[in-house]
Order: sequence, then structure tokens, then C-alpha cells
Amino acid sequence: MPYKLSQMLDRELKKGSAELLILSLLEDQPRHGYDIGNLIEQRSKGKLRFNVASLYPLLYRLERRDWIQGRWVEKAGQRRRRYYRLTAEGRKVLAAQRLSWREFVEAINRITGIEHA
Amino acid sequence: MPDWKDEVRRRLARLNLAPAHEAEIVEELAQHLDDVYERSLKAGLTEVEAQQVALTELADSDLMQKEMRRSQKPAKEPPVAGGGRTNLLADFLHDLSYAIRLQRKNPGFTIVAVIALALGIGANTAIFSVVNTVLLQPLPYKDPERLVMVWEEATKAGYPQDTPTAANYVDWRDQNQSFEGMAAIDETSFNLTGSGDPERLEGRRVSTSLFPLLGVEPQLGRVFTAAEDQPGSERVVLLSYALWQRTFGGDTGIVGKTLTLNGAGYTVVGVMPARFQFPTRDDEAWVPIAMTRDEATNRGRHYLQVVAKLKPGVTLPQAQADMSTIATRLQKQYPQTNTDLGAVITPLHEHLVGDIKPALLILLGAVGLVLLIACANVANLLLARAAVRQKEIAVRVALGARQQRLVRQFLTESVALSILGGVVGLVIAYASLIVLKSFIPENVSQAAQISIDYKVLGFTLLVSVVTGLIFGLAPALQAVRFNQIETLKEGGRDAATGGSGKRLRGLLVMAEVATSLVLLIGAGLLINSFLRLRKVDPGFKTDNLLTMKIVLPDAKYEETAQRAAFYTELIQRLQSIAGVKSAAVTTNLPLYLQGNSISINIEGRPEPPPGQEPIIVTRVISPSYFDTMSIPLLKGRQLTDQDTNKSPDVVVISETMARRYWPGEEAVGKRIAVGTVRSPEDWIQVIGVVKDVRQFELNADPKPQMYLTYRQHGFFDARDLVVKTDVDPSSMAGTVRKAVWEIDKDQPVSNIRTMEAILADSIARQRFSMLLLAIFASVALVLAAVGIYGVMSYSVAQRTHEIGIRMALGAQTGAVLKLAVGYGLKLVVAGIAIGLIAAFALTRVMATLLFGVTATDPTTFTLISLLLVAVAAIASYIPARRATRVNPIIALRYE
Repeated sequence: MPYKLSQMLDRELKKGSAELLILSLLEDQPRHGYDIGNLIEQRSKGKLRFNVASLYPLLYRLERRDWIQGRWVEKAGQRRRRYYRLTAEGRKVLAAQRLSWREFVEAINRITGIEHA
Repeated sequence: MPDWKDEVRRRLARLNLAPAHEAEIVEELAQHLDDVYERSLKAGLTEVEAQQVALTELADSDLMQKEMRRSQKPAKEPPVAGGGRTNLLADFLHDLSYAIRLQRKNPGFTIVAVIALALGIGANTAIFSVVNTVLLQPLPYKDPERLVMVWEEATKAGYPQDTPTAANYVDWRDQNQSFEGMAAIDETSFNLTGSGDPERLEGRRVSTSLFPLLGVEPQLGRVFTAAEDQPGSERVVLLSYALWQRTFGGDTGIVGKTLTLNGAGYTVVGVMPARFQFPTRDDEAWVPIAMTRDEATNRGRHYLQVVAKLKPGVTLPQAQADMSTIATRLQKQYPQTNTDLGAVITPLHEHLVGDIKPALLILLGAVGLVLLIACANVANLLLARAAVRQKEIAVRVALGARQQRLVRQFLTESVALSILGGVVGLVIAYASLIVLKSFIPENVSQAAQISIDYKVLGFTLLVSVVTGLIFGLAPALQAVRFNQIETLKEGGRDAATGGSGKRLRGLLVMAEVATSLVLLIGAGLLINSFLRLRKVDPGFKTDNLLTMKIVLPDAKYEETAQRAAFYTELIQRLQSIAGVKSAAVTTNLPLYLQGNSISINIEGRPEPPPGQEPIIVTRVISPSYFDTMSIPLLKGRQLTDQDTNKSPDVVVISETMARRYWPGEEAVGKRIAVGTVRSPEDWIQVIGVVKDVRQFELNADPKPQMYLTYRQHGFFDARDLVVKTDVDPSSMAGTVRKAVWEIDKDQPVSNIRTMEAILADSIARQRFSMLLLAIFASVALVLAAVGIYGVMSYSVAQRTHEIGIRMALGAQTGAVLKLAVGYGLKLVVAGIAIGLIAAFALTRVMATLLFGVTATDPTTFTLISLLLVAVAAIASYIPARRATRVNPIIALRYE
């Protein structure tokens, strides 16, 4: 890992980036909450982790903003689960956030000179 | 696997989420924890360790609450479940259209509810329109609140409000300080001839000051001038609108024309407006009273009605004190005639409205109670429906609807329902007013004007809205109070079946039973009174009697002998007609009019002090009268055709007169005199005693009465003809009238009626109150029965499962019935207990309407309670019976 985040910075960054993470994961297919939490943990190799207490309020907030939409889905032989999918509005937000995140990261990198390291 | 739901719920508790929403969140989060737990187990952790891992997911629950609160703050309120800040009108319109759709979906429910409400509101509207016209509307005169009647007060002689003598009126008028004006009115009648068929008119001789006093203008011409009040001035007449239309075809040139009234010419000076009536609707012609000196100084004849107008600022007690002072002065001045004679003032309104007021107020109270019962019924229906609608309500609450908003929606629904009931009720009221008007006793002032005006419409609207709020409130509060989660869950029991719903419905039934009991007892008391009144023996037989008025005009029949000749010929002619058994004439028929009394002296007794002479109701009759009326002779002999002006004067007296003045003595053979005895021929011998008749009202004790023959006495004219027929008396009317006109073609015949009709009229007021209260009580009984039936059906349906088990376990039908009916009867008995207490307190207000029964008549109370128990038992039995017929297998499956 090129940089190490302190505990505090970790929380702040997570908060700022969490929306982007969730929207990105829902870009291809609808997913339920456990799936989302699991993927974040796996793909960040355990560096990023959301527990129930932080993940779900975030999901509900996104849903309120009408960026994602939750639906109860019942599949044969399974109990029903709430799947979230990206709305049209969410898709636009995701594109915009991706762009600004990229710009942000580039700016940080330029300043910290990590690229030249 | 551990159940996480409680853990999650505990952490969400402080958020106060809508329960249905909370349930969803709990489910979603618990699933996540399940997944975490399973993954941990797979990774080789023990169950305890896996549980700890899962629970750490819920760490930071403060953060969760904070975050949740942000995410749960509603961004925009959904339209149906909108909160308090949204547009009230839009909400209302939305609720209204929803209500209408709902009513359309349940036509059965709507029809039953609307009928119940329409009955209640309609009855209220009808009675209120009567009260509005008769009691509330001011009299159609100027400054009606200042108009009063002035009476002589002769309580010691049995007349607390007596018609004054002319001399007393003149003294009052000239000496008082309190009145702007005072006018005298004398009842009279006219034979109108020369304008088509001879016609008999009721009319009044009035002081010319009367019309300015009442502040009324004529429609045509003018009212009287003061000069026309002088004796000997030109004869003038004012006509009523009805007479003008009927007899003169609304001839606008009528003013100035001359009519023949009682054989004399009168010039028409004006026509009064259609709305004008004074004192009653029957009066159709007014002439100036123009008292002669003789009349104006007469202190012996009590016959005038006096109306007066208070000066502005003078109160009734002040005027009363003034009049009492004058009366006391007159007592000293004229001890011979005025001893024990006072003066008393009553508001004109009270006089014209008469004694219908207590009956109307009681009826208004009664219809109010009917409406309350209707409310209870509809509330019960709504409660039952609310139980069915619980899922709907739960969904609304889950969507975030607030209680206040839901209550508002429910009230909109119930008010919409009650306004629909009000509209149908108006139709019922309109129809029943037509019937009602025919029941209202004729002498009630303004009865003809009764109609549905804007005030009545306003009243109906108000009653409808208030009604809707009353019956809607209980179900509305009930509906929003239960647990939505339980309801959303499949198989959730309906909340209204247990606990408060059942209790509320039980209370409503109890209230219905109690209210109907009060009404039924009131009606029972009136019916009881009426039956007793009907049973009162009037003292004569009323069947097959035809009566009519034949008033011989003074101008044509000046002498007693001329009159006697007319009567003799008429009776002879009539008795020769086939179908006529006998015919007679009399001063006044029984049950018709009080008065025509004479004070007498009794031979051998000292002259009584002034004011204490025996006053005897006197009738001048033809000898055939007793046979025609079937009045039995108790002692002595009847009058005969041989009692003439050439034979000694004779009199037949009533048993009350005999008992009062000759107690323990033989009255027959005694002699009396009318006025001072100047010669031995002035004595009149008692030759017979007959049974009493009721002179005025069935419920008034007979006064002493005597009968003189028209051949000997002209104290009073005989004015009423009565004919006993073999056939239907009304079929003889034309024949009898023809016989009169064969003797005198100008002689008017009026008031052709059967004696049965007169009897019916004399108890019209009692019948009016009795019938109406009986109708309202029946409506109440039906509504209460429907209410009990509804609640019992519902309760039995809820217990079908239980009944099934009992029957499967071998319970006898009887035992199950007893169980089901027992619940209904328990409610009814409780209701009756409350109702009896209320009735004891309330029926007292009816005391003045009762005859022969007390307001707490134990028989009526008992019978009515039993009736209600019987009706309630049937209403509970039918649904219970149905439940026992259910196949236990089906009942057990019933959910």
C-alpha cells in the first residue's frame, strides 16, 4: 500500500468515499446489503470494512436521495432479500463522483509526489 | 441460529420509526447478521465466537442511530399519508373522493347507514321546522314582543284568565300608564248573503285601534278610522285575503262595494294580506266594535278579548303592577260586580301558541334521542367495518401517515355519510311535514306557515355535521390505536374483536337500549293517557250524529217567538225525512266551547255575596235534544213541546248541578231564578235531572249545567243543529241543508261535521303528541333492535370457532344458545337499568301532557321494559341460533 491512513483519516475518508464505493458496486448488478459489505471488504483486501451499524444507514440515505432503490426479492428456496440497484439519478451521480475522485487523487498524488517515488 | 431481531430492534428503539418500516429494517439487518454468523461458523469459529463476531457488526450503535435519523428524515411526504403541514383543503378533497369511492364499493353498508341517519335527521328537521315556525319565529306583527293579552283574573270563581267585561276594558284602557294602546275584540259571526250561496263567516268586532297596534297594513284599501269606532257611524268591513279570493274572485274593485252581512249593508274598506291572521286563521271579516253606551258600561257580561301594546321600556311586571292597582280600585268602586276580580297580563305569543309548547319541546327532545340512537347504530357499523379495514390502515401508518391525519380522514368519511343522510333526511322531513301539518291542532298559531326555510336547512346541515363527528369519532380513534405490526402479519387477529373494540360496541348497545327505553316509556305514558282519555264517557253517544251551525241573524229574527217558529218547523221537516231519527237544536254542542254561563238565585236561600253566585253553564235547547244526543234522564221528566211561553217556566239540570246545590235533597221540584225575582213568574222549576256531559274537554270535570227550552227562553240563541241518523251521518249533509233553505233560502249553514269528528278534534292535541312520540319511539325501537342484532351477529361470528369446539365436545344446542344470548341480554339488562333511572328523571317533564297516569306509572315502566327485553332477546336469538346450526367441522376450520 503506497500510503498509510491514520485511524481518524480512515473514518473521514471512508465517509467521503463510501457513497462512491457503494454506487460503483451496484453499477453492474443489483446486490443485497451483505453482498455489498462483503465485496468492499474482499476487494479492499480487508483494508476497508463496513459493519451493519454503518452500512445500512448509508444505504437508506442513498435510497432516500433516490440514487439507489431497494426491492424485496424472493428467489426459489431462499428467504427474501432486499436488493439494491442503481437508479438513473444514481448513475449520473456515480459518473460525477468518479470524476471528482480521480481529480482529487491526482491532486493529492501530485502534491505528495508519490508518482515520482 | 440466534434470533437477532430483538437486538436490532433494541438499537432502533429510540428512533421511533413507523412500526411497519421498522419491521422491514429489522428483517434486513437480521439477515445480514445471519450471514455473518454462518460465515464465521464455516471459518471454524465456535457458535459463541460466531455470535460475538455478528454482534460487533452492531457496535457503534450510537453512530447507527445518528445516521439512521438522517437517512430516515422524510425527504418528501407521500400524498396519502401527508402530515399536518400539507394543504388542508387538498387533504379534505382527497379524503372526500376516497370516501365516495368507499361508499360506492359498499352499497349495502352505505344504504343501511344512510337510512338510519336519514330517519334520525329527518325527524329532527321536521320537528324543528314546526318549532321554528310556532315557537321561534316572531309573530307577524310589529314589535311582537311588546304585545300582550289582558285578562280578568277570577280565580275564586274558577277562571284564572277570564274574558273581561266591556266596562272593565274601558276603565283599563283609560286608566293605565303602561300601554301605548289597548284594543278590544269580540268574537262574532256573519251571515253573508247576496254574493252567491249564503255563507257563514267567522269574524271579529274590533277596536279600530287594533290594526295600528299590530302594525299591519292592508293589501288593498285602508284599515278603520278612529271615527268608525263610534256607535251609529257608517257600517264598514275589512275582508281576509282568503275570503276575498274565494267569494269575490280577488276582485280588485271590491273596495267601496257593499256586502250584506246579517241582513245589513256593510261597505268594504279594505282587504288584509294573505299572511295576516288575527286572532286565528278562521277569522275572515272584521268590523269596528263601535260600543254603544249600554255595552260600554256593562259589568255583567264577560266576553271580550283585550290585546295591548306595552310602551317602550315598560316591562311585563311593571305593567302587571299597574293593572293590579287599577283592578283593586275597581273592586272598591264596583263591589257588586268586581269583588275578587283582578287583572292579569300574558304575552300575546303565549296566548296564540297555546299549550302546544311543552308537547313540541318534548318532541324535539325525543327526536334528539332518536338521532343519538341512529348515531350509535352507525358508529357500530363503522366499528365493525374498521375491523375489516385494519390492513388498509396499517399500510397507511407504515407509509408514515400520522394518527391525526388518519382521524381526519375517518371523520371526513363519517361526515360525508351523515351529510348524505341529511339530504335523504330532508326529503323525509319534507314528506312528513305534509302529514304533520294535518295533525297539528287547528288552534295553533302560524301552523299553516310551517315550512322548510333557510333556518331549517341550516339546522339540518349543523345536525348532519355534528352527527357525523359524533358517530365517526369513536371508530376513528379506535382504528388508529391498535398495533399495526400484528395486523400486517399474516393471520393477525382483528383488533376490534377483543378488548376495547368489543367493549365499545357493548357500551353503544347499552346506550341505545337505555335511550330507546326512555323514549318508549314516554310514548307508553302518552298512549296510556290517550286510551284513558278515549275511555272517558262524554255523557252522550257520538255515533250517527250530524251537526251544523245555523245562526239566525238578529235583523231577521228579532223575537224569541220568531226563532222558536223557525226551529220548530226545521225540526219537524227534518224528522219527516227518511234516514233521520231525530233532530234538535242547542246553544252549543258539548266538547266545543266553554262559557254561556248564567248566575242564578235559588229559592229559599239568602242572596249570596257578590262574586259567589252559583254560575251555571246554560244551554237553550229543543226538547228533542236529550233523545237525539242519547243523554239519559236520571230523575223527573224531560222538556216537552208542551213547555211553552204559555206554561210555567221549567228547567232540566245536570247531576253535578243537582249534587252541588241540593246535596242530599231532591232537586226536582225546587225553583231557581235568573237574576232578580220581580214576580212569581220569574221562578223556573226544576223538572228533571240528566247525566253530565263534558262541556269543553274530555279531561276537564263537568261543571254544573242546566237546559232551558227555546220556547220559553231567549238568553242564548240556539246555534247548533244536531241530527241523529239511521245511515252514515255525513251522507245526509246535503239533504239537511236543503231542508234549511226550504224554510229560509238566505240562511247560511256552516261547520257541517259529524259528532265523531268533533270528539276527535277535542283530543287532537293529545293525539298529536301521542302519535308522534309513538312513531319516534318505534323508530328508536327498530334502530335499537337492529343495533343489538348487528352486535350479536358480529360477536357470534367471531366466536364461531369456540362454538364449534364446544359443540364438537358435545355441548347441547340449548347450552350454546344460552351462552350467546346471555351476552346480548346482559347488555340489554344493563341498558334497561340505566334507561329506567333516566326515565324516572325525565318523564316528569311530561306531567302536564298526561291524563290519568302518573309520570312514573309502574305498569307502563314494567311493560315497556319487558317489551324491550323481548325484542332484544329475539334480536340476540336469531344470530345465536344461526351459529348453533353451523357444522362443527366447518366452525373449527373457521378463521
